[in-house]
Amino acid sequence: MKEKTGEKEKRERKVLLLSIVLVFCALGAVVTAVSQKISREMSTAAIQNLSESLDLIQYTIEAILENEAEFQMLIAKEAARADDPEEYIRAYEKNQTMVKMSMIPAGESVGVSSTGEPFTEEGLNFSAGGTIKGLPVSQSYLNYMGAWSYTIKCPVERDGEEIGTLYVEYIYDTIESSLPDGFYNKQALLYMMDAESERFILKPKGMGKRSAGHLNLDDFYRANNIQDEEIREEVDQCLENGKNLLYYHDIRGVSALNYMWALNDGTLFLVGYVPVEAIQQEGKTVNQNIILVVVAMLVAFFVCVLLYYINWRQEDKLRKEQEKERRIHSEQLAEALQAAQVASNSKTMFLSNMSHDIRTPMNAVLGFANLLSAEAEDPAKVREYTRKITASGQHLLRLINDVLDVSKIESGKVVLNFDKFSLSDVVASVEAIIVPMAREKGQEFRVEVTGIRHEYLVGDETRINQVLINLLSNAVKYTPEGGHIQMRIMGLRQRGSQYEHIRIEVEDDGYGMTPEYLETIFDAFTRAENSTTNKVQGTGLGMAITKSIVELMGGTIEVLSELDKGSLFRVELELRIQEVQEDTQFWSRRGISRILAVDEDAENCENMRELMQETGVSLEAAGVEEALRRLREMSEAYQLVLFDWDIPEAEGIEAVRELRRALPDTVPIVFLAEYDTAGMEEALETKNTTVLTKPFFVSSLRAKVTEMWEGADKEKEPERADSLEGLHFLAAEDNEINAEILIEILKMEGAFCEIVENGRAAVERFEQAAEGEFDAILMDVQMPVMNGYDATRAIRALAREDARKIPVIAMTANAFAEDERAALASGMNAHVAKPLDVEHLKKVIREYVK
Amino acid sequence: MKRKEKAGRRRWAAAGIIGFAALMLAACNKDDELKNLIQDEEKEEKIVNLFSPMEKTDPDAENVARSAADLTIAMAEEELGVTVTYKTYTAEDYQDKTYDQVTLDRARNNMDDIYLLNPDVVQALGEEGKLMDLSGLECVENLREVIKTANTVDGKLVAIPQEVVAYGLFINKEMFDRYGLALPETPEEFLHCCEVFQENGIKTPVGANRWWLENFVFAQAYADLYNGGNTEAEIAALNSGEARYGDYMRPGFEFLKELMDRGYIDAEKALVSEAIEGEGEDFLSQKTPIVMAYWGAANTETAYGKTDFEMQVIGFPSSRGQMPVISMTGFGIGAEAEHGEDALAVLDIMLSDEALQIYSETNRVISPSENVSVECVPALKPLNKLIEEGVYVVGSNAGMKVEQWGNTCLIVRDLLGGATVDECMAAFDKLQDEALGIE
Repeated sequence: MKEKTGEKEKRERKVLLLSIVLVFCALGAVVTAVSQKISREMSTAAIQNLSESLDLIQYTIEAILENEAEFQMLIAKEAARADDPEEYIRAYEKNQTMVKMSMIPAGESVGVSSTGEPFTEEGLNFSAGGTIKGLPVSQSYLNYMGAWSYTIKCPVERDGEEIGTLYVEYIYDTIESSLPDGFYNKQALLYMMDAESERFILKPKGMGKRSAGHLNLDDFYRANNIQDEEIREEVDQCLENGKNLLYYHDIRGVSALNYMWALNDGTLFLVGYVPVEAIQQEGKTVNQNIILVVVAMLVAFFVCVLLYYINWRQEDKLRKEQEKERRIHSEQLAEALQAAQVASNSKTMFLSNMSHDIRTPMNAVLGFANLLSAEAEDPAKVREYTRKITASGQHLLRLINDVLDVSKIESGKVVLNFDKFSLSDVVASVEAIIVPMAREKGQEFRVEVTGIRHEYLVGDETRINQVLINLLSNAVKYTPEGGHIQMRIMGLRQRGSQYEHIRIEVEDDGYGMTPEYLETIFDAFTRAENSTTNKVQGTGLGMAITKSIVELMGGTIEVLSELDKGSLFRVELELRIQEVQEDTQFWSRRGISRILAVDEDAENCENMRELMQETGVSLEAAGVEEALRRLREMSEAYQLVLFDWDIPEAEGIEAVRELRRALPDTVPIVFLAEYDTAGMEEALETKNTTVLTKPFFVSSLRAKVTEMWEGADKEKEPERADSLEGLHFLAAEDNEINAEILIEILKMEGAFCEIVENGRAAVERFEQAAEGEFDAILMDVQMPVMNGYDATRAIRALAREDARKIPVIAMTANAFAEDERAALASGMNAHVAKPLDVEHLKKVIREYVK
Repeated sequence: MKRKEKAGRRRWAAAGIIGFAALMLAACNKDDELKNLIQDEEKEEKIVNLFSPMEKTDPDAENVARSAADLTIAMAEEELGVTVTYKTYTAEDYQDKTYDQVTLDRARNNMDDIYLLNPDVVQALGEEGKLMDLSGLECVENLREVIKTANTVDGKLVAIPQEVVAYGLFINKEMFDRYGLALPETPEEFLHCCEVFQENGIKTPVGANRWWLENFVFAQAYADLYNGGNTEAEIAALNSGEARYGDYMRPGFEFLKELMDRGYIDAEKALVSEAIEGEGEDFLSQKTPIVMAYWGAANTETAYGKTDFEMQVIGFPSSRGQMPVISMTGFGIGAEAEHGEDALAVLDIMLSDEALQIYSETNRVISPSENVSVECVPALKPLNKLIEEGVYVVGSNAGMKVEQWGNTCLIVRDLLGGATVDECMAAFDKLQDEALGIE
């Protein structure tokens, strides 16, 4: 489509260009035609003009000649009238025109002359037959003055009888004064030529360049390179017939109009040329002006085109921008649509999965509930069924929690709760959850901590736990029985002094993942295989949640996996180091300054030494043999011995005994062992020993030391009972089933519970109750008439002494942190999420009910 | 921002429209139709007529000699506000009146203001008192002495040249070299050279015309007179009749006669040949190894300025070795010239050092001014060397009572026409007697 549009545009452009070229061609043709027409017309006009000019000169000269002839006739008459005509002639004084006057009496050959010399006709050539006013005129000749001259002869008649002939000599120079001082702006060249001799006899001033000078016609043609046969023939004819000739011929490279103009019936000629440029000066000017106008119009046209083009470009640019915007917008829409479709598909898939995942445990719950009612008499079966119902319920709860989590993350509502925590606590809580799961599947689970310089950090411990549990529980899920799972916590090089750079790796040798799946592993609502065909249960949200949380914490997560070989998840986090004043007194107060670590693994020892560095306590590592040797040498140098229980049991026990013997009884031996390591009982029987769960953390050692030191001093306080025996509760619960469950649970604990159906009722009931009638109020939040928050506020506002003291515990399905905050803000003391975890509930109640 | 741009655009548009409107108004403006369209021009043109010969022209060739003179005339015109108009005449052939004859006629009839005169005409007109005394011109101070001497008639400086015309032999050096000939110094050597050329198939080794053969005569006649240290006394003897021109002239005429007799010169052709026209073609086409011509011909393309061979210009053979012959065509002013005063002023400028420098540089000729000198073309160097050394004879000397340049030329023509040497000498005797008033 785009290509087609492009081609069309190209074609249109070509057509436009062609049209413009055509228009210009047409314009050019018109201008040329007009210009040529003007040139032609001007040329014709110029030829006419030149002809007229030459005619004028011709008539002028002829008029002079005729006047001369007429005047001569008058003189002849005068001479005839004179008594002595010869004397009359002799007495003549020459003037500028008539330079010599002579007369030959009739019948004689020698006459008299005004110059005083005898005069004969010798030297005068009348053979050409030229006449002026009927009087014969001689061929031109150089006279006694060295000037080109001619002589007219005229009969002198007296009484009808010719008594002689009058000869008057005229010089051509006099004609010059009657001619214009040049013509065609003095660019025209003009000679007067004697036709018979073809000699140039006069070059009037102002006619042509001063330096130009030619002797005769032949010289003129040679000098100007006019040698064309045709022209010469024309010239000859012209000379012969006394006609005029006008023709174009270049003179010294300049186009010129040449002429030969006959005078006095062809006895004389005007010869010369006028440069065409001089003739067509007006035409040239007109053409120049036309060109000027055309150029001006072209300039104007191009300016218009340019302006149009600029405007078009701006509009085009705008149009393109708009198109681009539209395209981007469309793309965004398409993307959004696609995303929506993907989301919709995912959610459809998710709902289908959820439907299955919810139905499965629900089926178990309902199924076992049926079985339970049928087999109520058999306590063993009842316990079994209730255990299974509980498990299914917990699974359902997990599912719901995950969905809620995802929903919250997606809507950006997750807020990290930064707080101080210890890595050892994280490890301990993770181990507490994962180890039983792994053990159940016969998997080996190991935790390794290396290179950690600070174990007290600031961060959202819960979320970190969530990440680790997600990763580890996945590892457990997707690793077959008997597999291996390892969690490594590594301290990386710090980027800043205030942050501990941690890498957590969770590695398993489980099913692994396909490369295709790896690409979508962190997308929500996906899981390794469709849960309907997979025995592994899951929401498909865990990894998406994990990744979101890690990124929320500014960390990174990556995964390496190979099908059937296992997976490696790598999380990198930067956590702020807790500013804690290491309580150095703790160790000195207990007299601990040197610790001996009996460990064959040098790396372990180095880790421990690093961690202990801040405590001021010196930690020395040695193998069993070396440790024994040292202890035997100076048994009292060490106040504590750490013993790595990573040796075969028999050897371990033997070594412990040896150590015990080498040590004073007061020096405790702390075994470092994996969580729940079996077979240590015998070793623990050894005096003054205890177990510290790996990995090693200072905090856990501290706790252990405290425990041992203080335990030695006093008997451990009997654990406070969580029993709710004899307590009275007021519970606001609008849901009857929930109310019943609550009543039953509390009843089982020996407590009494009175249910009201809403907040208002709870407030009223409490108002009516005697002081001390209730030990605590259990308050649902979402209730008709009055919700839990308002009810609490109302209770707290009551003018009773115990109104402010009575513990109000929120018991709600609103399980988020903000719900908890809202509950506390309304004046409640604690928050317990539904479904109720009896143990947790008991613990919370015990905490607030004295 | 956008509003600003828009306002700017509007301003430009407004300016454009105003400009356009102004143009339209200007285009529509009319001249006042009632005004007299002829400008009043005070036409008081000062004119000076100059009569001079004219070289025949070839197509597309500039007339160099005239171009140089033109430049100086233009100087005068510009400075004085006069217009110099040219009157020209050149004989078409030997049957025509010569330029000199026409000049005499025109000058005698007071036809023009300034004339370019050949030496014989200078002398003739000078003696007739038809020429103005130019000694009062400023430019005279700068002239070489020989110039003044050669143009003074009856104590009046009647003509001044723009260039000193030195005549010499133009030889085809390559042809001389081809036959192992040294450049001739004496008449004998010259004859030998001609002999060798003729033996080698060059029938007529010397190209001649009806004007310039007299230089052979002058070189031999006056080599001693002008270079022997006794010039004035010898001239005085001639002017008094004590010495006879015939005696001086005889060796030269005998020499020419020998050249003619041996066929080294085609006398018949020479008699009807105009200068350069007759002999030039053969010389340029290397058929003739020797011609005679004036200095400027070596610079002029229409003459011998552009040859296909190595040309050298040497002096005429004489007993004293090679001898350049110096002559002068001078500008004179008619004694009763219509525009005499203006003509004098024009001449003063045309002959000023500044003008002569331009003239000499343009034509690369010897200047009559002591203060002007220019580099000459290589071909002229041998001749120039002799002139600079003061070795030359003067072909026209107004101080001699018998006019030399014109008369000798005419008598040489007689010789060419078949007269004997004795007849020619008799003609000189007659002239001398006439000049001295001896019956």
